Amino acid sequence: MTREISVELQNVSKYYGTEKVVDEVSFSVEKGEIFVLIGPSGCGKTTTLKMINQLIPHTSGNILVNGVDVTKLDAVELRRSIGYVIQYIGLLPHLTIQENIAFVLKLTKKSKKEQNERALELVETVGLQANYLKRYPRELSGGQQQRVGVARALAANPDILLMDEPFGAVDPLTREQLQNELLRLQESIRKTIVFVTHDMQEAFKVGSRIGILRQGKLVCLGTPMEIVRSEDEFVKNFIGQGALFEVLDTIPVLRAIEKDIPIVSEKGKVDLSDEKLKGWENIFVTNDHGQCLGYISLDSLNQDGTFSAGQIEPLPAGCSPEVSVKQAVEEMLWKGKTWLPVISEDEGFKGIVLFSSCADLLAEDRR
Amino acid sequence: MDLLTSAWNYFLNRQDLMFEVLKEHVNLVLWATFFTIIIGVPLGIAISRTERLRDIVLGSVSILYTIPILALFGFLIPIMGIGSKPALIALVVYGLLPVIRNSCVGIIQVHPMLKEAARGMGANNLQLLFRVEIPLAFPVIFAGIRTALVMNFSLATYAVFIGAGGMGRIIMQGIRTYNTGMLLAGILMVVITTVFLERLVGFVDNRIQKRFSLGD
Repeated sequence: MTREISVELQNVSKYYGTEKVVDEVSFSVEKGEIFVLIGPSGCGKTTTLKMINQLIPHTSGNILVNGVDVTKLDAVELRRSIGYVIQYIGLLPHLTIQENIAFVLKLTKKSKKEQNERALELVETVGLQANYLKRYPRELSGGQQQRVGVARALAANPDILLMDEPFGAVDPLTREQLQNELLRLQESIRKTIVFVTHDMQEAFKVGSRIGILRQGKLVCLGTPMEIVRSEDEFVKNFIGQGALFEVLDTIPVLRAIEKDIPIVSEKGKVDLSDEKLKGWENIFVTNDHGQCLGYISLDSLNQDGTFSAGQIEPLPAGCSPEVSVKQAVEEMLWKGKTWLPVISEDEGFKGIVLFSSCADLLAEDRR
Repeated sequence: MDLLTSAWNYFLNRQDLMFEVLKEHVNLVLWATFFTIIIGVPLGIAISRTERLRDIVLGSVSILYTIPILALFGFLIPIMGIGSKPALIALVVYGLLPVIRNSCVGIIQVHPMLKEAARGMGANNLQLLFRVEIPLAFPVIFAGIRTALVMNFSLATYAVFIGAGGMGRIIMQGIRTYNTGMLLAGILMVVITTVFLERLVGFVDNRIQKRFSLGD
């Protein structure tokens, strides 16, 4: 599968006078991922984000949004096609929640009816009740305002969202809740998100990939696990030395899930010569609807790879997809298992996590 | 006591005149305020963008503001003669300072983050001005208009010197004819209507401040 690139920066720099605030930054954001930009204050992360929707014009290099050079687009149209979320102060205090959510639709002169319908739909999407629509931002708590901020960014149904420290202004408890909601929401909306934060835990939690900026330079780029394993002194210091285990607590188990587990249909038979089976002790059995019925140990299969329903062992109690890698490991240690199924309340079986891959993450001298 | 009784009697006997001068007065003030707004608000918004222009405009309006009204009439009579036109211009000149200053300050104090949020969502310059900046600056702009309106209402009493009528007519006539009843009736009328107006716009202002307040 070729991966589609939604946002691409090619050697992008930004000067203020002679001061270089963004220095030859290049990265590409894949469609549907949450790409996190992080770094100490003044590292140019917000500037980088704002160059994507041209709130700040770049000095040199190319910025492509859905393959098109942004300088070739009308800046106003570009911004209307990209969702933009900032700290909650960004809600317009003289407008009701409904008017705030529908702001972009109003700018593009959509009908009143469409504005109202979309506001109603979105306020529910972000987990608020419809009776909030008539209220003013000041009547809402910080967390609620932030939800409205997300709803507002989604109003024009953009493919790309830019989020600039969106949860920076709320208390830690609410922040965690909002992060969880974002991840849950992302499961269904699958937007391309560029997310700026200064909070490493937040970056590990929401990011599918993370770029670390330092003095305008992109010093490290990778998945949370790759970042954790980075040898770079600055990166090590930035994420905190010896914080590996803590960091694992912020990585959702979903990210440690094994991508390519051996699966067989309940009516089928196992191809024992399949390369995929290498290193596996068990194979997972699914029915026609993709639900997992259980697993079979490879040793207990018949010689020709067939099996009977009686041989299928039910899945052991699993963990929810919201727990962290650290919690999953603790769970395995408690139960004396080497693997755990990940089971979501709504969707059922999502995959499995292996103790060995989790343990790999914990090892200090990893390559 | 006699004085009050005579003022009251005057008021009862000359209701028609009272009503007439009040009409002249209100007419003059409303037109003056109208022109103050259509000149002052756009000018105030315009100068909020550039600091140099701001210093020049606010500086000159402040100087005009310090000229005593009788001296201003002295300037205007040779140019425009007497009547309601020079009176109108004098009132507009005095009303401009609070309106321009508040419009300018109101726009400047709109939080840059709100402006950026609106721009980030794709508001163009006009939309930013009319949908974000002006609504958010409105309480401050209105406070300036309130000041101009109330000030003009009391200043308009002087309009009689330039033949523009208004409530000053009764006071002047009272002084000229040594009619203390008439004089007091005129004074009371000015005081009561001014206080009433101040209360009225104050009430509207409060509603606006509440409606638009950012709060927490």
